[in-house]
Amino acid sequence: MNHRWLALLLCLAPLSAQHSDTSLKNPFQTPDDRARGDAFFRSQCASCHGVDGKGGASGPNLSTGNFRHASNDEGLFRVITKGVAGTSMPGFSMNGREIWQIVAFIRSLSAGRDSAVTGDARAGEQLFRANRCLNCHWLNGAGSSRGLDLGRIGQRLTPAEMRNALVDPSAEVAPEYWIWQATTKDGKSLRGSRLNEDTFSLQIMDDTGRLRSVAKADLRQQSLDHRSPMPSFRDKLNDQQLNDIVSFLATLKGDAK
Amino acid sequence: MKRVVFLIGIALAAQDANWTTYHGSYASTHHSALTQITPANAKNLELKWTFQAQSLEKFEVTPLVIDGVMYITEAPNTVVALDAATGREFWIYEHKNPEVTYPCCGKINRGLAIRENTLFMGTLDGKLLAIDAITGQLRWETTVVDFKEGYALTHAPLIIKDKVLMGTAGGELGIRGFLAAYDAKTGKEVWRFKTIPEPGEPGHDTWQNDAWKHGGGPIWLTGSYDPVLNLTYWGVGNAGPDWNAKVRPGDNLYTSSVIALDADTGKLKWHFQFTPHDEWDWDAVQTPVLVDRQWRGRPRKLMLWANRNGFFYLIDRATGEFLQGTPFVKLDWAKGLDDKGRPVRVPGKVPSPQGTVIYPGVQGGTNWFAPSYSPKTDLFYLNVWDDYSSIYFAWDQEYERGKWYAGGGIKADVQSTRRDRLARRDPKSGYGAVRALNPSTGAKVWEYKMTDVSEGGIVTTAGNVLFSGNREGHFFALDAANGSLLWNVYLGGQTAASPMTFLVNGKQRVTIAVGHTLYTFGLRE
Repeated sequence: MNHRWLALLLCLAPLSAQHSDTSLKNPFQTPDDRARGDAFFRSQCASCHGVDGKGGASGPNLSTGNFRHASNDEGLFRVITKGVAGTSMPGFSMNGREIWQIVAFIRSLSAGRDSAVTGDARAGEQLFRANRCLNCHWLNGAGSSRGLDLGRIGQRLTPAEMRNALVDPSAEVAPEYWIWQATTKDGKSLRGSRLNEDTFSLQIMDDTGRLRSVAKADLRQQSLDHRSPMPSFRDKLNDQQLNDIVSFLATLKGDAK
Repeated sequence: MKRVVFLIGIALAAQDANWTTYHGSYASTHHSALTQITPANAKNLELKWTFQAQSLEKFEVTPLVIDGVMYITEAPNTVVALDAATGREFWIYEHKNPEVTYPCCGKINRGLAIRENTLFMGTLDGKLLAIDAITGQLRWETTVVDFKEGYALTHAPLIIKDKVLMGTAGGELGIRGFLAAYDAKTGKEVWRFKTIPEPGEPGHDTWQNDAWKHGGGPIWLTGSYDPVLNLTYWGVGNAGPDWNAKVRPGDNLYTSSVIALDADTGKLKWHFQFTPHDEWDWDAVQTPVLVDRQWRGRPRKLMLWANRNGFFYLIDRATGEFLQGTPFVKLDWAKGLDDKGRPVRVPGKVPSPQGTVIYPGVQGGTNWFAPSYSPKTDLFYLNVWDDYSSIYFAWDQEYERGKWYAGGGIKADVQSTRRDRLARRDPKSGYGAVRALNPSTGAKVWEYKMTDVSEGGIVTTAGNVLFSGNREGHFFALDAANGSLLWNVYLGGQTAASPMTFLVNGKQRVTIAVGHTLYTFGLRE
């Protein structure tokens, strides 16, 4: 065979594999399976991952539908049976059926996310752009990095959570989105998102979107504002418009556009 | 006579130059007599060598150093002999564990013991190994326990005379803990002390029903030894199930206790239970620090113990008498201790189905990482987790062999390992500090406050320098007298180990495991 053609075929092979999901599907997904999985989860997993699966003392949140070490059911099965090296996550020696039932339960934690979507996604996309959401947010190669990347927001939040975030963005703000403000010893004001911190320094993204480290020794004072920098759309959009935007956001699940 | 003194001097010098046990000495003070590094020159510390582990598991080892050779374990059960001057490997011995083992909290190992050119290591699959320290060849292997019941051997063994002492983890998997002694030459078991008494044994009346059968009481940190009293001291872990304590009424001896055993027979001499009927997973798995000093006007053989439950204890280690207990972090589960050292509990501060906020959190005010006592400063040093809570949940759970048996769950802003950036939690949800306590009063003398909590142990030296590392990625030296920062280096990984110091080619070195790398520092020459 012509070597040039062989090289081209070898390059294409992984690409075509990405487009056909050949991973194992969970054979145990009935309500009974999920109930059994719930019982196993409470006894074996909840100590670390939390009673509601939303994260605990040492285990991450499993209710978002996004997983650090698995991209599909087969991956979840592998993580549960093998564990994750370098973390507290051990491998479990349960039988295959029990493992699949846990996978079914974990999947149920993020299921039903589209059920409350009643708006017009196309109208919602127009509203999304008209309200300049990309001034702060990033979506499919455009916008700003200051706000949350919305590329997978339809997987991360339920429609109800998205609607709440639009009308009352400061109701429940994760610490990583709190607004950090400080004054340096030479009188300069600093503002941004606190990305990391240790005894000597902070790592922030400032209001211009620049990543920088700040030495605590150079600061006169600093504070954290627990409110979200996102404005409320409670009085700016009516019910239908909110539903439309939520419908649009619910379509954003990480697929390239 | 002069010759005798001279020989004793050499023996002491060799002991000071080496680090021969996990805790550095039988008294487990994590204090070295070395003096080359001082507060005046610590700023001249520099990296001498590194060793990169192949394993991605947590690196919790404290090395041994014997006459220029360093011995470490790499998780889960690989032994490596290194040139202590350069970090170059002499040999590697790898123990193959089965694919599924039962460690609660990572496939880790904390270290080795050595006796007459033989190294000893416990394994995740329940075995005790003896390995030739010169060749790296296996000398013998003995099965300590059926690991499929939920057991795992993670701590460094302790050598006493001709015996190797080994305990077992598994407090979250419904085990019954024990400490066992093995003949160092043959691996034959000599004695075994069960941390949960059986029917007919003293202490069994602190259990009801059949709860004792899966009552926990693991031992997962190396103990101490007093050669004069011939007593060995070990901390015993939590009762099982951890949080659903209604199924195990009673004090649940000897969980969350310190036990003092005759080193020759394994017979119990005394015990002291820090947390009777532990409902919070506050293992008494801290280092028993043995100190001879004055207390209330007369010399006492003391044991200093900063417990996971938030109290700092003074105990007479000859008799087990409780002398004093004082809180060293914020706690709200007890009003104090009575005159016997028993906690006066606050009603309602127990795990519940809906969740109960309790201080300290599940990792406790401190934990397994080593504290230190310096006779130079007469201070007790430890890493604390302060102003830190967890939400504790309890629910019913049936025991199943080899499965998680905690009877509840935990939620906390402060994670038990370095999993997330600190920005993902409220800084007000807890902080870490290296704290120096007056052993007589428990009062804070100074502290070096850190933003994040730490799983790093401490070593102090006769040069009046304190070394420790933290979760943030820093390894640092403090002035042991006042806590001022002398030197700091950012190493970019979590410290979950205790540092040690030694001499090689006449030069003082300090070694710490951080992230997946072993770092050795010394003074610039």
